Amino acid sequence: MAEPVIQFDRVCKSFDGRPVLRDFSLSIEKGTFLTVIGRSGCGKTTALRLVNGLISADSGRVLVQGRDVAGADPVALRRGIGYTIQNVGLFPHMTVEKNVAYVPAISKSPLWKGEERRKRAAELLESVGLEPGLAGRYPRELSGGQRQRVGIARALAARPDILLMDEPFGAVDEITRRQLQDEILRLHQEWGITILFVTHDIEEALKLGTRVLVMEEGRATQFAPPSEVMERPATPFAAQLVRRSRDFAPRL
Amino acid sequence: MTAMGELIQEIFALYAGRGGWFLGLLWDHFLLSGQAILLSGAIGLLLGIFIAQRPRLAPAVMGVCNVLYTIPAISLLGILIPFTGIGNKTALIALTIYGIMPMVRNTYVGLTTLDPDILEAANGMGSTPFQALLRVKLPMAAGVILAGVRNMVVMTVSVAGIASFVGAGGLGVSIYRGITIYNPAMTAAGSILIAALAVLLDLMLGRVEKYFKKRGS
Ligand SMILES: Nc1ncnc2c1ncn2[C@@H]1O[C@H](COP(=O)(O)OP(=O)(O)O)[C@@H](O)[C@H]1O
Ligand SMILES: [Mg+2]
Repeated sequence: MAEPVIQFDRVCKSFDGRPVLRDFSLSIEKGTFLTVIGRSGCGKTTALRLVNGLISADSGRVLVQGRDVAGADPVALRRGIGYTIQNVGLFPHMTVEKNVAYVPAISKSPLWKGEERRKRAAELLESVGLEPGLAGRYPRELSGGQRQRVGIARALAARPDILLMDEPFGAVDEITRRQLQDEILRLHQEWGITILFVTHDIEEALKLGTRVLVMEEGRATQFAPPSEVMERPATPFAAQLVRRSRDFAPRL
Repeated sequence: MTAMGELIQEIFALYAGRGGWFLGLLWDHFLLSGQAILLSGAIGLLLGIFIAQRPRLAPAVMGVCNVLYTIPAISLLGILIPFTGIGNKTALIALTIYGIMPMVRNTYVGLTTLDPDILEAANGMGSTPFQALLRVKLPMAAGVILAGVRNMVVMTVSVAGIASFVGAGGLGVSIYRGITIYNPAMTAAGSILIAALAVLLDLMLGRVEKYFKKRGS
């Protein structure tokens, strides 16, 4: 059995006195592609943001690569974890190349100096299925799908071991979403990176995940391979989810 | 010939006959407002950044700036005389105090109305607060901040016209002299140069602002 890279140990988190995560425990092995599904407001984003220390737990512990996030330097922690959000959040005043090179730039990485930066950015763009010729464009000159890809390239630039993706393909059309899903599957296989991927689309969760986490009102109610979630949904909510996608082929 | 026609003729006669004198005043005016612009620009920007980081202080700081801003220029100059005497120093202080308010306001608004997704990305990728400010927030707020700079520059150049009431140099000298010796053409000649300087600077800054607004969208 592989070592856990991310562990939630009885985490509780409230906002304004309202519990959002309740006694949340989870252990994610290295190389897992975890898809997280649940109703809007059930705490998916909150769980992700606990991993890179954007928020901190009220009680319980979050461990990343065996180290308690609470005691870690948040800046160093975050530079080692890729992060993409639904609206991408590309920097509008920077070219695609500068966006992609952002984490190496703020980390003063010597690998991304001058000519090297151009080469590495071009490589990364290619690996997310983009023309390297787009490097000089500004985000406003890109399509929605292209922006998502740039966002992924930016998150991968510093070669993180962990990638957090919060509904990354929520705002693109169906065809683009399929392409992006295939792209992220390929990246996962090639790079062996651990991915936490939040989605509200059960088919996406089953297609991409090596593990699926079903969340209900701040609790993890099922954590299993996609085929098991399909065949033996643990709760009425999970059953209701998979009923809608009967004929779907899950990731094996 | 109409009175207006005569006035215009006299103004041109003044420019022709005392061109060197006006040029000197224009230069003094430019220097005085330039110094005030740099000072209020720097102070206003820093103060704006400071309160954007500490929103709890914002209403108090903005309130004080607003109050200072509403004091009539002439009485601010008068109030300062007992403390800083007569001359360029007093004018510079008054102009600086005036210019701070539009700078603080625009810097604060620019920095606190940024797209939260972009800030989430900047933080989530491991920017230090200083890096987020320098690389993301300020460049993105540049359009709004520059609108404040423009506002402040035009105002400073025009308010500097009354600086000669406390013995400072600049085109206000010709305005003041025109009033005291009953020579409206001389007053108008100085005012026109002030307006021209203000419009010129406004046009230049307008271009810069447009560039940043476009870039930040
Ligand atoms: N920073 C915050 N401050 C206050 N309330 C928050 C904050 N973040 C999330 N919440 C609340 O916590 C609940 C769960 O949010 P979230 O984790 O974003 O849900 P999900 O991503 O599953 O839709 C929501 O009700 C949301 O309003
Ligand atoms: Mg969410």
